[in-house]
Formats: sequence, structure tokens, C-alpha cells
Amino acid sequence: MRFRTQLKNTRTFSKLTASLSSLGKVCWMRLEYDVVRFTIIPDQGTQVWAQIPVDTIFEENTYEMESNSEAINIEINISNLNRALRSTFGASQSQLRLTKKDKMPLLALTVLSSEWTEGNMALATEETTDPTGEVTGDRRARERETRITQEIPIKILHESAVDGLHEPHCPDPDVHIILPGLSQLKNISDRFTKLASTDSKGRQAGLINMDSNSNSNAAASALSANSAPKLELSANMHGKLRLAIATDDLRIASVWSALINPPLDPAHITQDQYSQLPSERMREVGEDDESGWAKVRIDGKDWSRVLSVGRLSPKVVACE
Amino acid sequence: MTSLSLSLGPPALVRLHDVLTCLSKFSDTVAIEAEHSAVCFGRSCRIDERTLTAWNELKLRLSALNSTKTAFASFVCEKDVFFESYSFQVRNDGRASFQNQNQGQERFYCQILIRALLSIFRGRVDRNKDTAVERCEMELHEEPHQAECRLTVKMICGLGVIKSYKLTYEPAAIQHAVFDRSKTTNQWTADPRFLKQIIDHFSLSAEQLDICAESGKATFTSFTTKITEGKEVLKYPVHTSVACDKKDFEEFIVEENMHIAINLKDFKAVVAHAETANATVTARYTSPCKPMQLAYEFEGIDAAFTVMTRGEADVGETSSSGRAVIPQFSQRQAPTPALISISRNETPQVARNMEMPPPPVRSRSRSIRPLNGSSTQENLTPRPTMEKPSASASMEFDSLFVPADDDRQWDEMNDEDEEEPQDILGWDASGKETFEPVLRDIEPDFSIPHAPRKGGDSDDIGLPPTQRMSQVRGFGLFD
Repeated sequence: MRFRTQLKNTRTFSKLTASLSSLGKVCWMRLEYDVVRFTIIPDQGTQVWAQIPVDTIFEENTYEMESNSEAINIEINISNLNRALRSTFGASQSQLRLTKKDKMPLLALTVLSSEWTEGNMALATEETTDPTGEVTGDRRARERETRITQEIPIKILHESAVDGLHEPHCPDPDVHIILPGLSQLKNISDRFTKLASTDSKGRQAGLINMDSNSNSNAAASALSANSAPKLELSANMHGKLRLAIATDDLRIASVWSALINPPLDPAHITQDQYSQLPSERMREVGEDDESGWAKVRIDGKDWSRVLSVGRLSPKVVACE
Repeated sequence: MTSLSLSLGPPALVRLHDVLTCLSKFSDTVAIEAEHSAVCFGRSCRIDERTLTAWNELKLRLSALNSTKTAFASFVCEKDVFFESYSFQVRNDGRASFQNQNQGQERFYCQILIRALLSIFRGRVDRNKDTAVERCEMELHEEPHQAECRLTVKMICGLGVIKSYKLTYEPAAIQHAVFDRSKTTNQWTADPRFLKQIIDHFSLSAEQLDICAESGKATFTSFTTKITEGKEVLKYPVHTSVACDKKDFEEFIVEENMHIAINLKDFKAVVAHAETANATVTARYTSPCKPMQLAYEFEGIDAAFTVMTRGEADVGETSSSGRAVIPQFSQRQAPTPALISISRNETPQVARNMEMPPPPVRSRSRSIRPLNGSSTQENLTPRPTMEKPSASASMEFDSLFVPADDDRQWDEMNDEDEEEPQDILGWDASGKETFEPVLRDIEPDFSIPHAPRKGGDSDDIGLPPTQRMSQVRGFGLFD
């Protein structure tokens, strides 16, 4: 088993790991010949199945991967990887490889970083008599090279261990739409979630005050307050997206319009199938018809974590 | 009667706040020591003149020792530079006879909760506000028979606003880690911003920092010794090592391939403060399992951090020493002259100590464990006898002519003690930085004829006194 590569676009890689680490701790990283897959399956919450071409984050011509099973499955603490990748910022060279130390498998990240010092700490220790032009010992600015090694403990998963893990199949979407700017969407979603949760909290306190004898009542309301508020997300095939939240006391909605419903790639689909797709049937429904809207309810906090992928790329397709 | 009063300008106030913030990373309390002596003083004049040291300056020292006694932070403020005004007086109230050993020595020490002090100084210097602090005055008076123990802090602000605070301090035995710079064999100096860049690469959960010099490179490695269950591989900490060129240091004279490890948290605290003070940090050390000192000077403050190190010691250490617990200073003391025990309260002659609870006796014991529930004086073991200290005193004298870091020189002499190779580190309440052979005052009074001793065990088991001097009066020993 062998894996070694030079990294490129470490910012992208780092942003990816940062987004992933907000959704789960342990990540299954599957290295294949042409793609790298990142999968997070938490006990509860959102699963992530990410796949990126090798040449997005790795220098393809330095990418070496050897394995009996044509893939290497690694279990890694994704926040450790994310933290380690921070060392690569401003690096001239960074290399990621699979290694072993004391029988423990490691993912070693070696970073060669060179930066210009301000010059005030460049004092020679031995070569003060260096006759070449660059006299060391002076306090002139010079390039400083630092080698950083980050050794991240990992677990190698046997192919049989991951055999049973498959990406869940989603039914054909009713609606697919490109979301508006995720930072905007996240801000609004977070605000809605907050409003709904403070609202239910306030009601809970009031209820206990008014009705302190009836314990069962108070307990019931506490229970309902514990369940996180559910956001209602709906969209149609006419470029409209609606984000709403409803509690007993309040109902808010934001509507975006003139968004894009990306067309499906005709190369993968025949004309016949195309017209059979639920999304096409939704498109035929009139723009103002409520039945043309596909609606989902999602946990506000979970959604907010998902939206944190916005740091990686602003263009996201949602399928409902 | 002791009185201490000082005043600080706004820049010094900011400095003081930074210092306290740094100290708070080591301990909950800050030890404040004021010292003033025009003449010389010696802790024990019984041996010879060498023990007398001149101390001609007025100084205020703020220090903190962490709870495991593996790190000691000290800031010495020079009177003339740091303070706007400073006065410290100890008036002898007719008990001169008790002070005979401390001629000319005028010192006062106490400890205060850092949090209390910090909250006073936090954010006080804001030039944009009308009511910004213009001056800070601190005052403290102590009468021998008065137990008020209050430090008064007055903030004189703009528009005639005066804010006064009264803080409770408590008398305490102050312990200093002694570090002999003259014996340093390894030394490096670096810009704190450069060190900060190194630290930034380490994972937040890393606990230890290993420093090593190899072929022109200085390598800093973070690691954690926390034992994780075998299966939870993913919870193992990330090992980070940063190798940088020696040339990035202002000075780098370090033995090749010697690994020395210190607590990363302490190192971070030092670097963070040095960065605010914009002072280059110098690290001095000899070998693993001996203390390291990180020091710098700025604006009238002399900062020194003495931290315990770990690693593979040269001699006699068990093979697992690399992973061994950082030895406590107090547990690994040799009967070397370095050992200068706190004797302020051991000497009943010092009048003002009478009111104070005796500090733990940091004697030559291997471990100091107060027995639960035993509070009688029987627990005090006799002071060490005279021979050993004097023997090692002569050894110390010889050591001027042998390599300073040669630990083996002690082996033969200390055989009788059955002790491990020792760290040269002791406690010094005198505040002087010399490493001269100094003996503790021998107070046979503390020994009770039938004090329990472990038969055959030659170790002294020192136990901290648990009773006030005043309480044991009437037994005929201290009358």
C-alpha cells in the first residue's frame, strides 16, 4: 500500500476539510486512481458524500497510489487534517504521504515553507566569515526556510469494512435549482432558526410561570422546545426559492426569484426519460400554482451546518 | 511595621496588566515581594563569608509557581525605571534581636489572587476617554499585630475621578526556582514573533514541546503523552515538527542531537508575553531533566521563567524517562548547595512570621505529602544534619573546575542518599540569584526526640508543618 502526492490548491483542500469538519468528526477518505472521496457518516445529522478529481487538490503527476484493492480507505479525524493543512498556507511545497511509525499508520504532511524574514533575526551562528556576497551575520532580509511535518494518526480500513457503505440513492428530484449566495442564505436561515427557538423558549418560560401547578403541562412544553425548529424550504422549476419557518406565534418567509434551474445534461438521458422526470412535470405546472412547489422540512441547525460549505464554492445545486 | 507604596504611569500600568495576564497562566495567585537593603544579608552566616551577598537595589518581584511546581515565572521590576515613585520601608519594632540573621535585609512578601488584580487593571488605559487612568497608586501597610492585610489600589483618572480598591492579600511563603545561568551549556535567542510562527503550527491539544538541534537545523516538535486507548487511534494527537534554520535565531549554541522537552503551554505563555513586550527571548539549559530558563528584559522588567524539562537524561534514568512524568522540583532535589530552603518561617526568630502559617518545608525530602488528618508537630522530621550540606558545599566548590553539566560528579558523594541523579534546582526565598553554597539554618528545635522515623530508610520524609507557631507555644520549645 502506497500513497504519496504533492498538494496543490491547498486553500481549496483546507476549505473542503473545514466544511466537512463542521458536519462530523471522523471522515472516511477513499483514495482511488482518479478521484478522492470524502465521506462522513455521523450517528445522526447530515451525511456527506464528496468526490473530487485527484487533480483538483493533488499534483497529478506526483500522485502515487498503490493498493491491492485499487483504492486506499483511510479513516481520519477531519479536524486534525484541517488544522494540519493550515501549515501549508504560503508554503512553497507540500507533500502528503502514507507512512508508519511505531506500527501506527500516519498521514504525514510535509511542508516546506519559505518566507522573507524582516531580517532582524538572521544572525549567523557559524558562517560569519562567509566570503560570498550574501554575508550572513548581517541583519538584512533573507529568505527563511522552514520544514514543517504534521503526522496525523489514521486508521486503514480494509476493503471489506467499507464494502457495505454505499451512497444512499435519492429519488429523482422534483425540483433542482441553483441556490442564492450561501452566505446570504445562511444568514437568513440562522436568523429564522434563532427567532423560532427563542420564541419557543419564551413561551415555555411563560407557561411555567402561569401554570406552575400543572407539571405535566410544563414538561410537555419543555419537550416541544427541545426539538429544534424546522425550516421549510421550497422551490419550483421557475426559478423561485422560498425559505420559511412557522411556529405557533410567527410565520416568516423569504422568497428568492429569478434563480436558475440548471438543465440536465442531455448526454446522460434520453428524450423519453427526460419527459418522464418529475422535475419536468413540475416545470409544466404554472408559475403561480402552489402544486408546482416542492417542499421539504429540515432541521435548522443541521441546515446551517450544511450551508457552511459555502466557504468552498458559492454555486450549489439543491435537489428536492 | 512594613509599608510599601508605589505609583505607576499609564504605560507601566499596561505592562503590569500584561505581566499579570502572563502570570495567570501559571498560577491563581501572584507572589509579590518587595526588597530593600543597603547592607548585605546572608541567610545563614554560620558557614562563611561567601554566603553573604550584597543587595543594593530596591526591587519588586512578581512571581508565580504552578501547582505542580514545574514552572516558575518571575518578573523583577526595577524601581527606577518601572515606577514613577517607589518607597518601601520596614521599621523594626524593638525586636532587633530576632532579626540578627537578616541584618539589613528588609523584605516583605505576600500573595494576591491574580484575578482580583487583573480585574482592576483591565482596560484602564484608554486615552480616548476623559476618565482614563492618569496614575495608579498602590499602598500597603502591615503592622505586626494587625491582621488587616489589605492592599489599597487607587486609580487616579481624568476629571478628578479616583477609584479605590482594597484587596486582601495573604502572607505566604514564597518559593523561587533557582537557576544558575553560569552553568548553562545550551543557549538560544530568538524573536518571539518567530517563535509564535512555530507555535502556530502545533495542534491545540498538544501538550509537550521537544527541542532538538540536528545538523544545522533547530527542530521543535509537539507531542502529547496522554495515554489513549489503543483502539481510539483517531484520538491520538497530531505530531507536529517544525525544523528551522539556526540562522533564524539570533544566537544558537546548542548541543547536537540532544532532545529536551518542556510543557508547551508554558512556552506559549512565555512567547505570548514576550511578543507583547517585544523582547527577544533567550533560552538557557544544560541537559534534559534539568531546568530550562527562558528570559528576557524590557522596560525595566526582568522576566525569567524557569521550567522543568524532560527527556532522556544522561545517567541512571530509567529507559522510560522520555515518557516519564516531569519530575517535580521538590521531589528531585539533591543535597546540593543549590538547595536553599525557604526558611522564613522555619526560623522562629523572625518576629513577623509568628502570625503566619508555616509553609511547607521544602527540605531535602524526596516527596512532600502532608498526611491526612495529622496535624501535630510529631510529623516534623528533624532537620538534616550538618555533615551532608557541608560535604556538598565543598563539592560545589570543586565543581568550578569540572564541566558544569557533569551530573556524575555527585554520584559518589550521594550514594548514601540512594537518590536518583538529581536536578540542580532548589528553592530560594532570598531572591538572590547566586548559586553559592548556602546552608539552611539548622533548627534542632523542630525535632522531637521520638519523632517517627522510618527504620532503615535513610530518606528524610519532610512534612509540612501544619500548625501555627503561636499554637505550639507553651510546650516549652518555643517559649
